[in-house]
Amino acid sequence: MAASVSAGRPARAARAPVAAHRRHRLDRTLSPYLYIAPFFLVFAGFGLFPMLYTGYVSMTNWRVDVPGSQGQWVGLENYRKLLDDPFFLNALKNTVGIGVLSTVPQLLLALVLAHLLNYRMRGRTLFRLGVLLPNVTSVAAVTLIFVQLFGRDYGLINWTLGLFGVEHIDWQAGTLSSWTAISAIVTWRWTGYNALIFLAAMQAVPFELYEAAAIDGASRWRQFRSITVPMLRPTILFSVIVSTIGALQLFGEPMLFGQQQDPTTGGSQHQFQTLALYSYNQFWGRFKYGYGAAVSWAMFLLIVVIVGANLIAARRMKGLDA
Amino acid sequence: MSRNRQLSAGRGVYAFLGAAVLVSVFPLYWTLVAASRNNTDIHSVPPILLPGANLLHNIGQAFSQTDMGLALLNSLIVSSLVTASVVLTSTFGGFAFAKLPFRGSRPLLATVVATMMVPTQLGIIPLYIMMANWFHWADHLQALIVPAAANAFGLFFMRQYLVTSLPDELLDAGRIDGCTTRGLVRHIVLPTARPAMSVLGMLTFMATWNDFYWPKVVMTQQNPTIQLTLSELASGYIKDYSLVLTGALVASLPVIAVFLLMGRQIIDGIMQGATKG
Amino acid sequence: MPTFRTGPRTRLLGAAAALTALLAVTGCSSGGGSQAQDDPNEKITLTVNLFSDFGYADLYKQYEQQHPNITIKENRADMGAHHQNLQAHLLAGSGTADVEAIEIGQVAGFQAQAPKFVNFLENGVDAGQWVPSKTAPASSADGKVLFGLGTDMGGMALCYRSDLFKAAGLPTDRDQVSALLSDWKAYAATGKKFLADSPNKDVRWFDSGGNLFSAVIAQAPTGFYDAAGKPVVTENPAVRQAFDLVAGAIKDGESAGIQAFTPAWDTGFQKSQFATVACPAWMSYEFKANPPTDGGTWDMARIPGGGGNWGGSYLSVPKSGKHTKAATELAKWLTAPEQEAKLFTEKGYFPSDQALWSQPDIANHTDPLFNNAPTGKIFSQSAKDLKPQPLGAHGAEIGTALGNALTSIEQGKTDADGAWKKALADVANIVG
Repeated sequence: MAASVSAGRPARAARAPVAAHRRHRLDRTLSPYLYIAPFFLVFAGFGLFPMLYTGYVSMTNWRVDVPGSQGQWVGLENYRKLLDDPFFLNALKNTVGIGVLSTVPQLLLALVLAHLLNYRMRGRTLFRLGVLLPNVTSVAAVTLIFVQLFGRDYGLINWTLGLFGVEHIDWQAGTLSSWTAISAIVTWRWTGYNALIFLAAMQAVPFELYEAAAIDGASRWRQFRSITVPMLRPTILFSVIVSTIGALQLFGEPMLFGQQQDPTTGGSQHQFQTLALYSYNQFWGRFKYGYGAAVSWAMFLLIVVIVGANLIAARRMKGLDA
Repeated sequence: MSRNRQLSAGRGVYAFLGAAVLVSVFPLYWTLVAASRNNTDIHSVPPILLPGANLLHNIGQAFSQTDMGLALLNSLIVSSLVTASVVLTSTFGGFAFAKLPFRGSRPLLATVVATMMVPTQLGIIPLYIMMANWFHWADHLQALIVPAAANAFGLFFMRQYLVTSLPDELLDAGRIDGCTTRGLVRHIVLPTARPAMSVLGMLTFMATWNDFYWPKVVMTQQNPTIQLTLSELASGYIKDYSLVLTGALVASLPVIAVFLLMGRQIIDGIMQGATKG
Repeated sequence: MPTFRTGPRTRLLGAAAALTALLAVTGCSSGGGSQAQDDPNEKITLTVNLFSDFGYADLYKQYEQQHPNITIKENRADMGAHHQNLQAHLLAGSGTADVEAIEIGQVAGFQAQAPKFVNFLENGVDAGQWVPSKTAPASSADGKVLFGLGTDMGGMALCYRSDLFKAAGLPTDRDQVSALLSDWKAYAATGKKFLADSPNKDVRWFDSGGNLFSAVIAQAPTGFYDAAGKPVVTENPAVRQAFDLVAGAIKDGESAGIQAFTPAWDTGFQKSQFATVACPAWMSYEFKANPPTDGGTWDMARIPGGGGNWGGSYLSVPKSGKHTKAATELAKWLTAPEQEAKLFTEKGYFPSDQALWSQPDIANHTDPLFNNAPTGKIFSQSAKDLKPQPLGAHGAEIGTALGNALTSIEQGKTDADGAWKKALADVANIVG
């Protein structure tokens, strides 16, 4: 109530200028902190602290099934072990492979879609809604749907390919085929979303640039390459980073795509076991809290390195243009 | 806006976009077909592509074989509370970063942005220990709600919106009228922020509804969210694929409904967020 | 949204109040309260976590009628995930259901956790209900704690499609089939003949290499562990022999390559994608749920190689559950001879209660699902002849790893040697 009173009657503030002034100053210096406090409290308690604690756990030999191992300090031993662990290296390879397969075609496709959605047309909203729809469905639902579509003997995808004379593919079996299938799930879910982001950026490009180029005789493709793409660079960079972070954390898709008794193995030969799945396998399935934490941290470092590389590459490209 | 001067679409553009929409919609349509038939039908060659009459029977089965009612209720409670909390904390924080000068605001904002890079999975092990051993919240809904009560994306989203959409003049006028910061928030910020708040709300609701990893770790089949029940349907030796896809349909319907009702605003919100970010 | 018309403060307060109220509610409904157990008429819900169909639905109804205050809720998960979750929840001290099933291949991994379970010996259970080989794995090392009540046993048979056998010119009579498939070598050789002579080329000899392997290794006197509880996957020649036998059959194209316990496996039953399945008693539910759509019929012969036990389970009651007393009573009731007998005659789960094996209605039982095969005779004989295999903590996971290796051969990704090598790396990671 107080707020509405003071706001509604400015005259009252004038009557007691000194006290009001002091209160006013206090309000101005303190309230920003009050307003950001909820976020930082939650972040400190459930973001920062667990993250640091994971770092600590990763340097212990903690196994919940071994009493007394909690707090057994081993320094960087777990990280050294990672480098010799064929399952970790395999998961790393899978994560990067699926990451590339699911991000690169997705973003290219999104760019094309955005370009087309940018035409003047009838049913604009309908098209946009259509391509965005996959994004609102859950990872679990989508993966279960696609497991059926990718079925070896009775899946629709194999049936369709069969119409073109392609033999049935056992999608779970191969490294490349399973990566492709999982990437297809990710791509299906996220292409429309990224297309809308690109579309927004395209609409911010001044039309005069295209007019001038058209007068100079530049083809549509040429315009797309030399105007649209460079103008979109910050947005593309943003999408690349966000998609990369998402791809490096893939968990639900490979877990539910697998048909093994142990869903954390990621295929009969671990051909699609990602880092997130391996970390979960070590932590939840094998009770190796210390080692699982080390896998998590390694995953985080990988994200930092790849995002950093993206930023540096983007800066370089900018430099070349200038 | 340059929209009026955009090139008009030819047949090729319509054809390509039509194909894209078809690819986007078909798996969901197929889910409906499968959910309204039985396991033999959906494994026929050539495939049957029209819905059958089994939908209600399958939904009944899915509800009786798993605790889908409880799961839907849990998901609704968690998603609603998380959404309310995220929208409020993000609006307050976003406003402070956008419009209030204070010491340390730049580095703090940089921290917020940096935390968006931290994968949730990084903290899973300690979070689970906290919930299970310290707070004894494991398998309780607050284990899903409290850690998600605020997030960096929401805060940054609101900040970006308010930086441009909230004119400084309006705030200055409010100050001259004697408004305290709280008064400004109430009379100026919240009305201005409402469109962005509803978009953030919808995005948060859908993301929370669809969350899988953390609920999988901290909740159990005794007190599941809808995504957990869905994965149980797929693994629990029931194995009738028409039932599995019925589960997928039931789990997706609420978010699809939200999407169809508010799709336009969601699209605008995503696109606005993009240009301002 | 109309609710957003109020001021920010009331909104925040409202949200906070709602949150607090919610916490209070959930705190009561699912909170750790064994305090209420003293009131026998309090309405409670007992949760039962299983990893497959135990055929309990009708029994629950009966029990709920006898105990109007009790509601029973069953959850199921994959076998691997179920046991992983149970271990993790026991270690964390929360998250367990009131009654939790444990499979025999996994039970050794819970021996070290025996103190975390209700001791049935202190709750009026007579261990003599079962043979010692059933109770020993579910007891603490000193034998003072019994934490699992035996449900069923996995005596094995060979299930075969007599119509498909006939079409391929093989005998259809179960005694003749038993004689023809006396050991696994003969089984594999007959498989080749079946593939050559069967008019329907979409039908394979068996469902999955992993499944066949489980059956073959279950017959060895020693499996993945020796009597001292040491893993002997590399040392024990029987493991490699079983592996190579299955790998050879896969190479000859005998496997449909459909992993067991997946939706595709169900479809395989329905669509007649294989002609034989090595079938323990508990697998009946699968046959019942998925009759062949072409009208074909299953029959049951003796398992090649004779004898052996694959699977069978226990019910346990973790102390961290909410209603341990009521749960203990339920578990005892579900595993009592009367109910076990019913589960066999109605659902096909062969009881582990030894007294039942000689009871006439069990021993003379025939199952119409398998062309009236004398399932009572087959499984009680197999139970009486059983020489139990030593068990180890990670037996089931090792089996899964070797099964996965065989899958990779089926998928055409590697040969027997390559798959074996990879499997050993997995095993090292599992036991390490």
